[in-house]
Amino acid sequence: MENQKITLGTRKVSIEFPGVKALSDCDFEISTGTIHAVMGANGAGKSTLMKVLAGSNPGYTGEVLYNGEPVEVRTPMAAKNLGVQIVYQEVDMALVPSLSVAENVMFNDTVMNVKGKLFMNYTKLRREAREVLKRLNVDIDVRRPCASLSLAQKQMVLIARAIQNTCNFLILDEPTAPLSDTETEELFQVVRHLRETENIAIIFITHRIQEVLRICDSYTVMRNGEIVDTTPITPATTSKEIVDKMLGRSFDESFPKEVCDIGEKSFVVEHLTEREGRVKDVSLYVRKGEIVGLAGLVGGGKTELCKTLFGAFKKSGGTITLNGNELKIGNPSDAVKQGLSLVPEERRKEGVLVAETVTFNCAAACLSKFCRLSFVNDRKAAQNAEQFVKDLSIKTPSVRQRVANLSGGNQQKVVVAKWLAADADVYIFDEPTKGVDVGAKQEIFHLINEIAKAGNCVIYATCENSELLSITDRMYVMFDGQVMAELETAKTSEDEIMHYATGATTPFVAAG
Amino acid sequence: MEKSIDAKRVGHILLNWAAVIVLVLAVIVFTAIRGTAFFSTANLVNILRAMSILTVFGMAATVSMAPDGFDMSAATLGTFCAYVFASFCLWFNFPLWLAILGTVIFAMIMYLLTMFLILVCKVPDMLATCALQFVHQGLGLAFTGGSAVSAGLTPAGWFAMFNGGELKAKAPGWSVAAQNVGKAPWIYIIMIICVVICWVLLERTKYGRYLYAMGGNKTAAKLSGINVKKMRFMAGMFAALFIAIGGILVCSRNMAPQINGSDSYLMTSLAAVFVGRSVGGAERPNALGTLIGALLITTLENGLTMCGVVYYILPAVKGAVLCLALVAAYASSKED
Repeated sequence: MENQKITLGTRKVSIEFPGVKALSDCDFEISTGTIHAVMGANGAGKSTLMKVLAGSNPGYTGEVLYNGEPVEVRTPMAAKNLGVQIVYQEVDMALVPSLSVAENVMFNDTVMNVKGKLFMNYTKLRREAREVLKRLNVDIDVRRPCASLSLAQKQMVLIARAIQNTCNFLILDEPTAPLSDTETEELFQVVRHLRETENIAIIFITHRIQEVLRICDSYTVMRNGEIVDTTPITPATTSKEIVDKMLGRSFDESFPKEVCDIGEKSFVVEHLTEREGRVKDVSLYVRKGEIVGLAGLVGGGKTELCKTLFGAFKKSGGTITLNGNELKIGNPSDAVKQGLSLVPEERRKEGVLVAETVTFNCAAACLSKFCRLSFVNDRKAAQNAEQFVKDLSIKTPSVRQRVANLSGGNQQKVVVAKWLAADADVYIFDEPTKGVDVGAKQEIFHLINEIAKAGNCVIYATCENSELLSITDRMYVMFDGQVMAELETAKTSEDEIMHYATGATTPFVAAG
Repeated sequence: MEKSIDAKRVGHILLNWAAVIVLVLAVIVFTAIRGTAFFSTANLVNILRAMSILTVFGMAATVSMAPDGFDMSAATLGTFCAYVFASFCLWFNFPLWLAILGTVIFAMIMYLLTMFLILVCKVPDMLATCALQFVHQGLGLAFTGGSAVSAGLTPAGWFAMFNGGELKAKAPGWSVAAQNVGKAPWIYIIMIICVVICWVLLERTKYGRYLYAMGGNKTAAKLSGINVKKMRFMAGMFAALFIAIGGILVCSRNMAPQINGSDSYLMTSLAAVFVGRSVGGAERPNALGTLIGALLITTLENGLTMCGVVYYILPAVKGAVLCLALVAAYASSKED
């Protein structure tokens, strides 16, 4: 098998869901020993196509080809037998947090190959798990429970589990989305290592074009369920070229900062400390019409700070004032009453009510506005939703649609609409562009600018430094729950942000 | 491809209206077997009377389950409420309105304990209410002095304190008004009022929207600024109201609160909620669905009894209905 090229592909694969053509006549091919990127806007069909290859989408028409021969992969088992392994974006779904790393790595083996065995051989299990992790070149203590691992380490455990079985094709669904830059770098090393030593084909689904250009050998762009183009990556490949293919139109990649008038200090936080120590002695202020960034790596305390401000985490000290009045915030409900709003990081889990309609989601934070004597006036709520669907160009067949059926970017817009309807004064965005395609991203940026222009305070937390540099006026860099530095966006650089985000306490000196 | 989608859609519709279809089929079959003995106004009245208490307990379960809560102690609290109502009527000789009001307030006070365990101590609903079953049973019997409260029986020892040291009931027997509560037409009217209250609360007010939002995704609801604890507490108070009414109906219908008299309504009311959960594709506990669920269960019981099925098999029928309802609710979900 070693160094022998195996190909996996599809011929005229289509999938139809009621009313939607998720995939139409997709011809796709990949051979072992390459790193291949699959890109496309949200809803372009990337994940659907990968699920076909992984056998978890049995309702396809057309053929899956293995070395040119048609094969049936209607179950995950059939795909695994062909050596196709997939690591989904939600790593926690696939791991058993209470079991050790060793047990998680060897999970399939433990489940499948136990016929006739009664007792577990833990010494052997740990030895084998250690060997698999060594193949990945990563160092994790196999006795640790998975719950104590970082997100990046959990991903490694899943990759280890995938290659522990026969693995010729490894599909990674948006692996870098939640990772910080250093963690991404480590992941790339592992991926390259796998390509070189194990002759594995790696399929990357991602939104980050820079990464693709750096590590992939070739890429496929999908749009509206069709494959637009498959080409090798050469040094001449530019990100603009890929973006144009993804959107089907020419696209300017930068997000110009729109100028807002900045007023006086409005939202002031002093010495804020979270009860469990996840936020330590944070002081910051936001002026009216200003967009203030929270920079830092994953785990730096940005999300924790956002949640503490919003009352979802309990504070143990410090004060929060808005326009001179001290706010008493014990829970999110208090925060909303006093004009705060939060667009949380985990959209589906925390942001939208997926089982509810667009109408209700748009009204969820201020339902009283649409009520008379506590009775909901559905028509008024629907009108409100219609207005936002139009203003924010939310793509939905009707306001009665359940939000579960909208794409990621549109769901995010619904979350923003909810707070616009509630007429908040302070808008806190926590990674609002996570898992959102480039087109929708720009619309969200525009929306945030509009919010600031209207004289509101905006706090924007993200680990994407390029976003901070383009949209904010000022930023605070966080590390380990503390603010390390306050930077003027116009006078800073990515290097300076990273300098403080990695915990440096010495002043930054520009290189050269 | 087209065909399979159509088949899927038809399947969905069948599942969504399964409860109603089974109900109609049951009526047709029973009518075919028993003719006018089953299909008559007199028997309809029987069915309505039999389902009314079940429906009221069903409303309590619906309102607890809308925000993804649960109450296993509803029936034991109902029994306790029946004791209290009877003692108000017989021992204290309160007028009917005061006895009802007192019972409702009592149920709400007892429910504070449930809410304390769930909201303050953060015990999962199911476990907290399982434990409270025993508390209700024990306290209830302590309240009555270990026996049923009935006309002619001596009150519990503590009652002497309220009666100048004399251990004798103040009322000679049940008042006519108290007896009427459990009879037609009042029992229907009370049932309908309970359904209407529950329906308006859940479907028409903002509180109902909040409760369903919590049932769908508690974290997102919380981060939208919904005061989830307050809403859960409110749902609990409504549940207490329905439980109190259920207890009063049980008591009035039997003319005595029998020991553990309401307990059999617990599982049946949960069955009614699960049967009603999917009616019309609502996919969540709802008042009208529960009403249909209660009607279905009662009709089956009534019809089967008429067809000569022995009474001790009936629980198996109820169980089967509950199983089918659960299959309909969960088998179609995408996860496996």
